[in-house]
Amino acid sequence: MLPPTFPKKTSLAIATLGALLLLLESAKLARPFTLAEVVDFRPRDIPSVEPLAPIPPSTRPVTAFRHPIIEPNLIDQHDNLRAFYLALWRTELGAPGAITRVLHYGDSPVTADSITADVRSLLQQHFGDAGHGFVLIAKPWAWYGHRGVDVQGKNWRIAAATQVRAKDGFHGLGGVSFEGDTGATSDFELAEDHAQMEIHFLRQPDGGVLTVEAEGQKLGQVETAGPDKQPDYQTFPLNAGARDIKLLVERGPVRLFGVSFERNAPGVIYNSLGLNGGQVQVVARYFDKPQWNEELQHQHPDLVVINYGTNESIYADYIEHSYPGELRQVIERVKAAVPRASVLIMSPMDRGQRDSNSRISTVPTLPRLVEIQRQIASEMGCAFFNTFQAMGGEGTMARWYDSQPRLVSADFTHPLPAGARKVGVLLDQALESGYRQFKARELRRPH
Amino acid sequence: MLLTTAAYFSFLAAVFFAYWLAARYRLGALAVVLFANYFFYARWDLVYLALIPAASTCDFLIGHALHRYTRPGLRRLLVTLSIALNVGLIASVKYFTVLPWVLPLALSFYGFQSLTYTIDIYRRDAQPAGSYLAYLASASFFPTTVAGPITRLSTLWPQWSKREMLTVQDGGKALFLIGLGLVKKLLIADFLAETLVNRVFDLPKLYSGAEVLAGVYGYAFQLYYDFSGYTDIAMGSALLLGITLPRNFNRPYAAQNISDFWRRWHISFSNWLRDYLYFSLPGLRSRWKIFAYLNLVITMVIGGLWHGAGWTFLVWGAWHGVGLAAHRGWLALHGNPKLTFTTGARILCGLATFHFVLIGWVFFRASSLSTARDILYQIVSGSISFANITPAFVLVLAIAAAAHYIPQRWYDGGLQLYCQFPYYAQAAAIAVLVVAIRYVAGSGSAPFIYSRF
Repeated sequence: MLPPTFPKKTSLAIATLGALLLLLESAKLARPFTLAEVVDFRPRDIPSVEPLAPIPPSTRPVTAFRHPIIEPNLIDQHDNLRAFYLALWRTELGAPGAITRVLHYGDSPVTADSITADVRSLLQQHFGDAGHGFVLIAKPWAWYGHRGVDVQGKNWRIAAATQVRAKDGFHGLGGVSFEGDTGATSDFELAEDHAQMEIHFLRQPDGGVLTVEAEGQKLGQVETAGPDKQPDYQTFPLNAGARDIKLLVERGPVRLFGVSFERNAPGVIYNSLGLNGGQVQVVARYFDKPQWNEELQHQHPDLVVINYGTNESIYADYIEHSYPGELRQVIERVKAAVPRASVLIMSPMDRGQRDSNSRISTVPTLPRLVEIQRQIASEMGCAFFNTFQAMGGEGTMARWYDSQPRLVSADFTHPLPAGARKVGVLLDQALESGYRQFKARELRRPH
Repeated sequence: MLLTTAAYFSFLAAVFFAYWLAARYRLGALAVVLFANYFFYARWDLVYLALIPAASTCDFLIGHALHRYTRPGLRRLLVTLSIALNVGLIASVKYFTVLPWVLPLALSFYGFQSLTYTIDIYRRDAQPAGSYLAYLASASFFPTTVAGPITRLSTLWPQWSKREMLTVQDGGKALFLIGLGLVKKLLIADFLAETLVNRVFDLPKLYSGAEVLAGVYGYAFQLYYDFSGYTDIAMGSALLLGITLPRNFNRPYAAQNISDFWRRWHISFSNWLRDYLYFSLPGLRSRWKIFAYLNLVITMVIGGLWHGAGWTFLVWGAWHGVGLAAHRGWLALHGNPKLTFTTGARILCGLATFHFVLIGWVFFRASSLSTARDILYQIVSGSISFANITPAFVLVLAIAAAAHYIPQRWYDGGLQLYCQFPYYAQAAAIAVLVVAIRYVAGSGSAPFIYSRF
């Protein structure tokens, strides 16, 4: 017998709703649910990713490990990283001028110096800091940035290889061309002292004049006029404390590609060369071959990292048909330009999307793209770093998105600073572990 | 146990039936509610089973002592003890990790409600609860646990004593509110967040000025629909047990000025700040009028910092405090004029107020001051690209904005219509909604934004 205060209509509505939902669940129209969930008192699972322990700077030369560490995500079966490791060894020994130079080509995370800034900082902590390296003349997109160098440019006509391309395909080392008429300026604010800066410019008929200033003092001029169009470079020494650098187009037109900052000390220069929307096809199709060759050769790199794939990862047909050929083309061009350099193919990070159940899952074509990269790296004598697997493989984006603190953006593609640092540390650990194994092998080898 | 999950609604249905079966015995009904409250807390973490009863018992005893003793010094000591207890509880869970693990549920709303009890008795605005059980059931009432509305306890326990049955109208309204809350949260707020808002606030420099601006507009409506959706579900849940909770929102983006906004937005919180913080600050009765303005800013800054110990919340609080002080100053300067506006002027005032609030939301949502700066910088940069704004986002944002401004009578009409439905039609309407959510919003939902405060 129900009490007189019992709300019959509402009770019937709730009971009917319960029955309807059970019916819908059996017809798979409502979400599966078990009553056991109601009495689940287990602590709520808050996924967390272990915080990274700070890596102390080394106080003595790195010595060979007795038992080399196997680095599963860095595939270097044929000693493809030998040139890089030998350079690192020379740098570690501290010989004057022993600079290890790395060029890291990548897409949007790299353009914000995300990931690369962490690798740079770790390698420089352990092997010495030979300078920041290459920086573009202005921000082609708001997202562009470099840790330790602030850049502000005004009145440049910007032609990025991924956007409004330069008609002649001259995009310099970093993939972006800057053309300025009289009055165009760029200001660089350095966090630390450097010994010299090198301006990357285009010598061209009717080229104008660029003035270079440091801390308000004129350092000199760059005359960009020349009989033919060709990339050229001019170096200016920087005094101690010279951290505010200004470039001013005294007389236009002047076409620039970037500025490199270096120190006169053994160490690592890790150049971050990112393009928003970067893909191998951009390099293959829109970088002028001789001009890019010249830029690469001028750098004398010990390692070239090719780190594309995220932007391609959603185009299944392209990945199967055109991507392998274009990746091969880019590798061939790098190897032809700088045959003594090691080449490392770095796979993209995991990339997530919401599936039909609204769960975040890995883009289905991404593992296939990573596999293609691995195969081509092996075929073409390149080392391969499997970022995707090192992060945790399929489903990493979901875990990183749910972790506290969150490691990736809500687009399930771009890392947040903590996530970028984690990837940077993973790459650094793989490279340094590989280096130690290399050293151990070399030291054991009879001379 | 999030208020949007099947587990919660199964629990609520069980509580509903148990409560009304036991309702003829007041003690039985209270026991059901108390058991439900502690069950709800335990689902978040078992440690609450120790914390909440202990804290509630302290406040109950302090309330009776405040009522009994008349010595001002002792009464001040007692109320200070209660404030220290509740603020300490809020702060220890929110700002300092006293336990080796993180507690999933902040105790802010519990603490605010408990303080209304002891401070009201201290001010002699209320009598202490006659029944220990009624006090415990009121202080930890589960629908208000996650994010309010902050309810004066003195308005809550008298409702346990009434012997009225749940009217057909109230029962229908309760189901309507729950359905409406689900739509607001899962179909609007979570959709806006997922499709653009979260991305823009994560990495604003990746998006054009137009996209960032759309993301900020989206956030304004996401926050409103998330929080008011939660409130609707909480109010509906309470109403199923015959308990009326205070209204928390009244079309806040239709406010004509910033003071009006705070009379419409998170009403229970702004009332709490006014009654228990602003009126408690020194200098209000001073002849120095500046205190009235200064205290407004201080109140809002503290209100901001309650959301989190960070510069962004401080700036957000100060922004609103200065806005409120400026508005009050303007009124005082003009002799508190009774203004009548034309429709055009009303729209302009509404838009100006909305955008003032919008700038505040940038700081409220941004993870750091530099991110907030990047967002504002991207907006003023004027860069235009709509590549990341999908038609679905525009559609949902438009629906969200239009629904916000619909006349109250339309809402009342919808409610009346639903209440008149026969029981099976009421059930079918919510079942259809559940299926729609299944297909549009997918599985799971993000936690309510205010649950972390």
